[in-house]
Amino acid sequence: MSRLLLIASALLFLVLFLVLPLLAVFVQALAKGFGAYYSAVSEPMAWAAVKLTLLVAAIAVPLNLAFGIAAAWAIGKFEFRGKSALVTLIDLPFAVSPVIAGMIFILIFGTHGWFGGYLRAQHIHVVFAVPGIVLATVFVTFPFIARELIPVMQAQGNADEEIALSLGATGWQCLWRVTLPNIRWGLLYGVLLCNARAMGEFGAVSVVSGHVRGLTNTMPLHVEILYNEYNYTAAFAVASLLALLALLTLAGKSFLEWRQPELRPAARLRRDRTGREHP
Amino acid sequence: MSIALRGVTRQYGDFAAVENIDLTVETGALLALLGPSGSGKTTLLRIIAGLEIPDAGQVLFDGNDATLWPIADRKVGFVFQHYALFRHMTVFENVAFGLKVKRRRLRPSRAEIRKKVQALLELIQLGWAQDRYPAQLSGGQRQRVALARAMAVDPKVLLLDEPFGALDSQVRHELRRWLRRLHDELHFTSIIVTHDQQEAIEVADAIVVLNRGRIEQSGIPGEMYDLPNSAFVHRFLGQVNELPVQTRNGRAYIGPIDISAAGGLPAGAGKNVALIRPHEIEIGDPASGWPATVVAVRVIGPIVRVDLCAEGQPVHEPLEAEISRERFEAERFSTGKKVGLRFRRWQVYPDAA
Repeated sequence: MSRLLLIASALLFLVLFLVLPLLAVFVQALAKGFGAYYSAVSEPMAWAAVKLTLLVAAIAVPLNLAFGIAAAWAIGKFEFRGKSALVTLIDLPFAVSPVIAGMIFILIFGTHGWFGGYLRAQHIHVVFAVPGIVLATVFVTFPFIARELIPVMQAQGNADEEIALSLGATGWQCLWRVTLPNIRWGLLYGVLLCNARAMGEFGAVSVVSGHVRGLTNTMPLHVEILYNEYNYTAAFAVASLLALLALLTLAGKSFLEWRQPELRPAARLRRDRTGREHP
Repeated sequence: MSIALRGVTRQYGDFAAVENIDLTVETGALLALLGPSGSGKTTLLRIIAGLEIPDAGQVLFDGNDATLWPIADRKVGFVFQHYALFRHMTVFENVAFGLKVKRRRLRPSRAEIRKKVQALLELIQLGWAQDRYPAQLSGGQRQRVALARAMAVDPKVLLLDEPFGALDSQVRHELRRWLRRLHDELHFTSIIVTHDQQEAIEVADAIVVLNRGRIEQSGIPGEMYDLPNSAFVHRFLGQVNELPVQTRNGRAYIGPIDISAAGGLPAGAGKNVALIRPHEIEIGDPASGWPATVVAVRVIGPIVRVDLCAEGQPVHEPLEAEISRERFEAERFSTGKKVGLRFRRWQVYPDAA
């Protein structure tokens, strides 16, 4: 009985706080019919926001992928001074508010910032331009892949790599043929999470973007602008696209979770001659 | 290939994992590095493999200084306790790995690789499993695959780090015998690290016992079992009974038994302890020898283990004796029987404690 109650309350909570709002987004987006929805989504400003969002994710995710692998490798496979400090640093973007992350970049690259004068002289625009948005996104999504990989790498230890080297493999061969295949599921999972956050980031991007329509508006920023202009249908239409991307990411994640146990050795117990089970 | 270590030392911070080790392994020999955990045996093996660089000393391969050679140039096959098979590759791909990563100029053709890998899989009797993944094999099968993978690149030296430690005793016994045959057929130089004295005695030509990063004793298995040169080695190479040696009126006794005539007492006035292996205790008539009571009897196949409480000894520390089944059948000791003990052999060491 108490178990039922527990499940029911959890379900109720989920419906109230997750499913209903998500439904509301789609209902509101389609409130004036498919025609209005389509025109809101295909409007040039909205389209520019979609493209910018995808571009930013396409730069930020590979950067953090490379960084995440390098950091996890260093932390998981080597002992060095300041290791725990590095782990803490990686978590920093989780700890600070995204707004602060945005402010940092204004402080460094803004007109009155440390490098502002120099950058203006070179005609390089960082703040209130695409590079600033990319920087802010990279900062905010920095921990996702590294966090996902560190425990995997730590659990696996160095034995596989040492064997590969003793068999004559070079460092690169070792990375491509042994290390990466060993961490591929954790890696994909991290990339998915990182991507979801890169596309959805609002706070940090909002600070550095400057909100120039068609130029520096990502999808979340565009949604806000439309909303502030009381253009609810358009706002929710773009929001529904964003929600759709998030749902796709989640679907990808559950697909991986469904595949993964198959590949985990513990899931495949075999009996040997003596009838004992071996992992 | 012969291997020699000259004054090898490796520190981790303040802790010396191995200290000033000198060691020679002749071409074609099978050497066991034996010691308790933390004695430095694995560190030594990793130094030979090139997985660790010593802080001081030299590693010589056939007389050439190989201390700083990269792992790949050393032609060593390495086998870990937990197999370290590449879990995303089939058995075939695992064994073929070392051949496939060779530089193009040196790499055999696909057909040659296939032939060689299949020959190796036949050798380890796992030809049928070539398309299986490691997760689908038992521990013993996995370790055989790991061995075949190491052998695929024609190593001159085979280094095995507790290779059978994770297997149950039946499989372990089979694999040991198999490894010894393989070693004899293929003429490797092999070094096996183990903490299991039985394993070392069974499989190796020579044993080096390590303790706290130093070599305690090295020699031929049988000799070392009979003539250990320290209490540590004596204890480590098999079961022992420990009894204090008492000195009264200038004579030395174990219990009531006068051992002065036998000699072999260490010089110095410190306390001494006598180490006696279970099979060196003779159980006889209560009228002769050290009076004792049989506390427990356990028949283990061909041998019988008898726990004995000797007079004047603490009850909770019975002596352990081993006698043959035949002798047991003739005498039929049962629990509670009064007997007399004699010691066929013993060795006396200064008591460190």
